[in-house]
Amino acid sequence: MSWRWTALAVGFIAVGTVVGVLLMLPASTPAQAPVTPAAPQPTATGYVGSETCKGCHEDQWNKFATTKMGRLMLQHPRSAKEGMGCEGCHGPGKEHVEKGGGKGVGGMITFAKNDKTPVDKRNQVCTTCHNKGPHLFWKGSAHESRDVPCTSCHVVMENFTPKHSLARATVIDTCGQCHVKQKDQQLRSSHMPLREGKMTCTSCHNPHGTISVSLLKEPWPNATCFACHADKRGPFLWVHAPVNESCSNCHDPHGSNHERMLKVAKPRLCQQCHIESRHPTSPYGRDVSSQKFVLGKACLNCHVNIHGSNHPSGFAFTR
Amino acid sequence: MKALAIASVATVAALLLLSWAGTARAGAADDLMLGGFRLSGEVEAGVREYIERPPESRRAKFQEYEDMRPGLFLNYLRLSLQKPDGMYGMDLYGTRWGFDDQRYEFNVGRLGLWDMFVEWDQIPHVYYTTARWLATETGRGIFTLPSVRPPLNAHNSAPSLDEIALQTNRGLIGLKLTPTPDVEVTTSYQVIRRDGNRDFSMAFGSPGNNFYGILEPIDQTSHDFRVGVAIAREQWQAQFGYTFSYFANANRWVRADNPCFPGAPAGCAANDFAAGSPITGQTSLPPNNMANTFTGALGVNLPLRTRINTAFTYSLYLQNDTFLPHTINAAITSPDLVLPQRSLNGIVQNFIGNFTAVSRPFGSLPLTLTAKYRIHDFQDNSDQITFPGFVLDDKTLEGARRAGRWSWIRQNADLEGRYQLFAPAALTIGVDWQRWDRNEHREVPVSDEFGAKAALDVTPVDWLLARLTYRPSFLRIERYNSAAHAEHAVAEDPVTALQGQSVLLRKFDEAERNIQSVTALLQFTPLDRLSISPVFGYRWVDYIASSLGLQQEQAWNVGLDFAWTPVDRVTITASYSHEQDTSKMRSRSRPVTGTGATLDFVDFDWVSNIADTIDSFTLNVRTTLIPSKLDWIVSASYQYALGRIDNSNPIIPKSGTAAQNLTATAQPWPAFEDELATIETALRYYFTRSWSASVFYSFQTFRKHDWRTDTLNPFIGPDAVWQANDSRNYTAHIIGATLAYRFGR
Repeated sequence: MSWRWTALAVGFIAVGTVVGVLLMLPASTPAQAPVTPAAPQPTATGYVGSETCKGCHEDQWNKFATTKMGRLMLQHPRSAKEGMGCEGCHGPGKEHVEKGGGKGVGGMITFAKNDKTPVDKRNQVCTTCHNKGPHLFWKGSAHESRDVPCTSCHVVMENFTPKHSLARATVIDTCGQCHVKQKDQQLRSSHMPLREGKMTCTSCHNPHGTISVSLLKEPWPNATCFACHADKRGPFLWVHAPVNESCSNCHDPHGSNHERMLKVAKPRLCQQCHIESRHPTSPYGRDVSSQKFVLGKACLNCHVNIHGSNHPSGFAFTR
Repeated sequence: MKALAIASVATVAALLLLSWAGTARAGAADDLMLGGFRLSGEVEAGVREYIERPPESRRAKFQEYEDMRPGLFLNYLRLSLQKPDGMYGMDLYGTRWGFDDQRYEFNVGRLGLWDMFVEWDQIPHVYYTTARWLATETGRGIFTLPSVRPPLNAHNSAPSLDEIALQTNRGLIGLKLTPTPDVEVTTSYQVIRRDGNRDFSMAFGSPGNNFYGILEPIDQTSHDFRVGVAIAREQWQAQFGYTFSYFANANRWVRADNPCFPGAPAGCAANDFAAGSPITGQTSLPPNNMANTFTGALGVNLPLRTRINTAFTYSLYLQNDTFLPHTINAAITSPDLVLPQRSLNGIVQNFIGNFTAVSRPFGSLPLTLTAKYRIHDFQDNSDQITFPGFVLDDKTLEGARRAGRWSWIRQNADLEGRYQLFAPAALTIGVDWQRWDRNEHREVPVSDEFGAKAALDVTPVDWLLARLTYRPSFLRIERYNSAAHAEHAVAEDPVTALQGQSVLLRKFDEAERNIQSVTALLQFTPLDRLSISPVFGYRWVDYIASSLGLQQEQAWNVGLDFAWTPVDRVTITASYSHEQDTSKMRSRSRPVTGTGATLDFVDFDWVSNIADTIDSFTLNVRTTLIPSKLDWIVSASYQYALGRIDNSNPIIPKSGTAAQNLTATAQPWPAFEDELATIETALRYYFTRSWSASVFYSFQTFRKHDWRTDTLNPFIGPDAVWQANDSRNYTAHIIGATLAYRFGR
């Protein structure tokens, strides 16, 4: 099977490469001419221009110039704001230059941890441009409302990571600076493939703010799960009501020491809600009569379609 | 696969040589040019061998999500083509080429104007490698036993299944256009393909009859198409999006022979092979379904430093697969089994509305007010179908049942104010509310949960940040309808009704509760490159009105995150966490007499105290032993989890018969535990700026003790056949070497 999928993958990439090369061929008329805004007027507005900044901060300038933001702002600005270059984020530099430089001198925003600029002011610099797509709901979000600075998670001045300019080597390490428990949950015996590099926190969450609970990317929690587990979406003929309301009624998506990432071991998880007569209500043990209800898949030895059944005789989820 | 890996390495090497031969150097000595584009990249290939490799039967956890085969491998390849002016760029990245967990990413774009991306990702998922199974798959999802059923203990000598596993392959292609800096159009198509098997099971009769552990055939495809537009002006931003998702399952059912019928195989109970028992059973698999989702969002900056965000989502879930028949047991016929309609006509409509307002209305006063409201209306408008009869597990004809529809509305509202007390301290006070409106089919039609929040964020000195949050909440209900489960019942039957849910039960997701929650985070950064962050969390849930059901929950955790770069050449990160989750539940053994009466004795109550204790530790050290020449990396992790379920009877059961008393008597359960330890270390030597080589060693060990699976055989009696699935202990020692080449800038 693998070679077929490899061939498909190679084909995918090949097609993409051809299309990409074709798209890269310059058009006869550029779709958008790069904006070359007029250089800021130092004396009028307090701006000195990025080349002046480079005079003292050449090392940072060179690193920043290799980043996507740097290439845009320093070489190919699309707007007057981007054309401000360094001063577009750090503020006008005239006073800083006239006073001989130094950290914070002249009211510059350094974005360092000890920056005296209030966090919301610092973040406002970023959200002036990063205000759509995944950043639309930043204001009022969990992180914003606790004054978490953008620079807590992102390093802007250099390509520290291949993507997203993260402050730590990986997304999980970045989130794990504060969310230590969730980070360590990936080590649990039952887990999604985060530590194997196949998923990250941002596979399900958008840390910049969302309309959903817990910063989930999809409109509601179950929809996040359905993005990969669409087989559970239904609607089913026979509905297991708590499943409909939230997958996290039974599962801990960050990881668990119980199989299938259940929060509590079977059969106890099921017995917390099912005290009908006969077998759901017995405490069970290690005796022979208990085995069917405790060992292996426990309740799911029979009630296998526990997420819902579309079988006419499936009301107990056994079919 | 080895051949493919070798071919991949050779292809890349040839590509690099051709690139080298066909390029012209221009400008800086580091530039490689290809047709006017600056070429750069890196490639790493190597070989991996095992000093100790887990045997096949112990590889499930080891290779759960990874392809860890020995031999040659192409670890990664990155190619980048960039115009010297940075306007156009193309990146190709691939890792673990030719392996079952290979991944590729391709990105091409014009800076600030458009980006096209293509991804391909393969994820193996091995569930078990210990299954033993007598059945033969004579057709996809058809599992056949010998026509003369063997005694059940013969299943213990059944052949082993190599593995029960799934392969998930995901392809994504997308385009992002930014015609102007304030307009963004995105579109993407994703396909997820799943092939393989998953552990499954099938029952052949009412509770107490036999079941058979089988496989669920997985041949599933999900298609996702998304398109979105975002417009961002200085004072307002708007977004619109549409998602179409289609799930297709090539398998509608799975069939398996009943190991206890025909005949009277030893190990089965008499009831298992009574006349009329099913020879073969059939279970449904997830039906095809689709979803259409429309989203719209608007953010507006208003005067008085106010920001309004609103968002609306409408989702339509559809499912209309043709029903299977009630049974494939030809011995059961009845006019009541004629299906009243051929399919569900499943329609679920989700409407989600969000409103957030953030304002700092009093200019000089550092007070920020936030108000949020959210409503989620889940309406299941599928047909409500009543079946005149049904067949229990292909064996027994039963009476009428009605399939209920569970719609609900969930509302949330939050109000909070954040005040900057003085420069380094901010206090947040808030209240919140959540209401569930469940229809009459669940036990609690309406519930309200009222909560509060107090949060303090303090930065007394530059190098210390402290965050403390306290959240209490209280869920209250109007009434608990213990008879809601009768939704399925069509005919009123007092005797049957009593056999339903205990009237004393309160289901934890609907029960009245008090919650106390505290979290704390300290972040010490005494040096620019030193960060120490202890965290603490505590949560206590008291189910105050639950005579039976979940009584209490308590969870607490402490942890530490550490990151230090003492010198440029050394980076150390580490973390530790200790968690304990405990819960207490109370239930009651409720036997049914021969006349159908349900016995509810107080002394038949039993209690389980459930506790999970987990310790986790990670460490990463990266160091440059010799600048520009020798790097050393060490990674380690350790996790230990202990699970306990301690059972007891508050009163010794005495009220029933001897057998009933015994059933109601709680028995001790042994604890179960698992442990994972990993160490990886690598030395990388740089011959030149472009060429480097590494040697690596990797160690992993997994230990588990779980009485529920450790000694499980397919047949251990009575009248049940498992697959003996178990995640076995393993140890692996791996060594290897790689060669890497970096070219261009």
